[in-house]
Amino acid sequence: MAMVHTGGPDGVRLHVQRLGPEQGGPQQDRPGRGGPGRGGAAPTAVLLHGLLTDSLAAYYFTVGPGLAAAGVDVVMYDQRGHGRSERPAGRYRLEMFVGDLERLLDRLGIHGPVHLVGNCFGGTVAFSYAVRHPERVAGLSLIESEPATGAWAAKLDRLLGYAAAQLSEHESDALAWIDAHHGGHTARLARSAARLVRTTSIARDIPSSAVLDEGRIRSVRGPLLALYGADSDMAAQAPWLESLLPGTRTVIVPGHEHSVLVEVPALVLEHVLAHVLDHDRDGDRDGVREPGGRPGGRPRVAALAGLETAP
Amino acid sequence: MSTAKHTVPAPAAVDEETVFAEIAGMLRSMLDEYGLDDIEIAPESRFMEDLELESIDLVTLAGHLQARYGRQVNFAEFVAGLELDEIIDLSVGRLVEYVVGCLKAGEGS
Repeated sequence: MAMVHTGGPDGVRLHVQRLGPEQGGPQQDRPGRGGPGRGGAAPTAVLLHGLLTDSLAAYYFTVGPGLAAAGVDVVMYDQRGHGRSERPAGRYRLEMFVGDLERLLDRLGIHGPVHLVGNCFGGTVAFSYAVRHPERVAGLSLIESEPATGAWAAKLDRLLGYAAAQLSEHESDALAWIDAHHGGHTARLARSAARLVRTTSIARDIPSSAVLDEGRIRSVRGPLLALYGADSDMAAQAPWLESLLPGTRTVIVPGHEHSVLVEVPALVLEHVLAHVLDHDRDGDRDGVREPGGRPGGRPRVAALAGLETAP
Repeated sequence: MSTAKHTVPAPAAVDEETVFAEIAGMLRSMLDEYGLDDIEIAPESRFMEDLELESIDLVTLAGHLQARYGRQVNFAEFVAGLELDEIIDLSVGRLVEYVVGCLKAGEGS
């Protein structure tokens, strides 16, 4: 495990895991590399996890190793307050998370354009980063995610407000209920989430984040992949996002709700990997294997490829 | 947290008992750190249900495994090949089997 301090007034210590293309295994304390096309360097993908119950483990045990095995330089980190990263008492507006990504890439010496992959809130962070730094983004993959709009902030205000109220007043009852209905592991994740909500200002900060108007959303240049579970509330946004960014590739996964990353990782891997390889900006793919060509590739990938996806 | 060195040689004796003892030692130090020092570690213990570890703790364990066994044991890839239910039900014994298999394969090459 590597801890990286981002430095500066908003600096935090972030837990970073890197999987290298050379062996598809964890790389630790490796010096930073350039982005795609730098003297044959592999494309770099930065994977951003979701809010409260999430951590980099959501990628480490799903699409991370597959991306690395296919030749992608994979950077995963726990966002502030989450996983093994530092949990400051305050400063949890979206801008802080975007700033963490900026400074982390600087610290890792990654200056070329990167592919950003974001699950839920992680995609929201990735999108705002892409608006702020179009030159540093080679492509965006949003998994069950959306840009930060006024509607997004209002929804998060309701959800986080509800969670904070439930937890502060009835934490033990709420956790016992989750334990009984969703099993012990979910309850343990909820306990970590409860600690974050209880000991920090995250529930108040997220809804007061800087949001994007449609003009800013249209300004994103990187090619966009948007993946949704067909039965998730989020899927209804697909036509709206496509209308703003006509080049968007939308994939709807039938029979799933919000948790597509952990429920169908092979399918997510296949689409994200294809998106990364298609949009490796400088076209230098030395050493990059095509999807499905990984050694000892799991048959699951092929089996799930038959699933219908929307055009 | 010790930084992984990728050049650690595999143990001479590749048997389940030795590997279990080593992995149990890694888990013991993690549980002690979380104040869970009264939890028993057995081959049938499941990481999440019985040892009360979260998925992020398995990332820490992956680092320990790589530091001890080197590249021939790729815990991330092993877990990525499992279904979600299998990850939640993953036991210490199943991991020991996997590690022993990797080490034996390494010996044969």
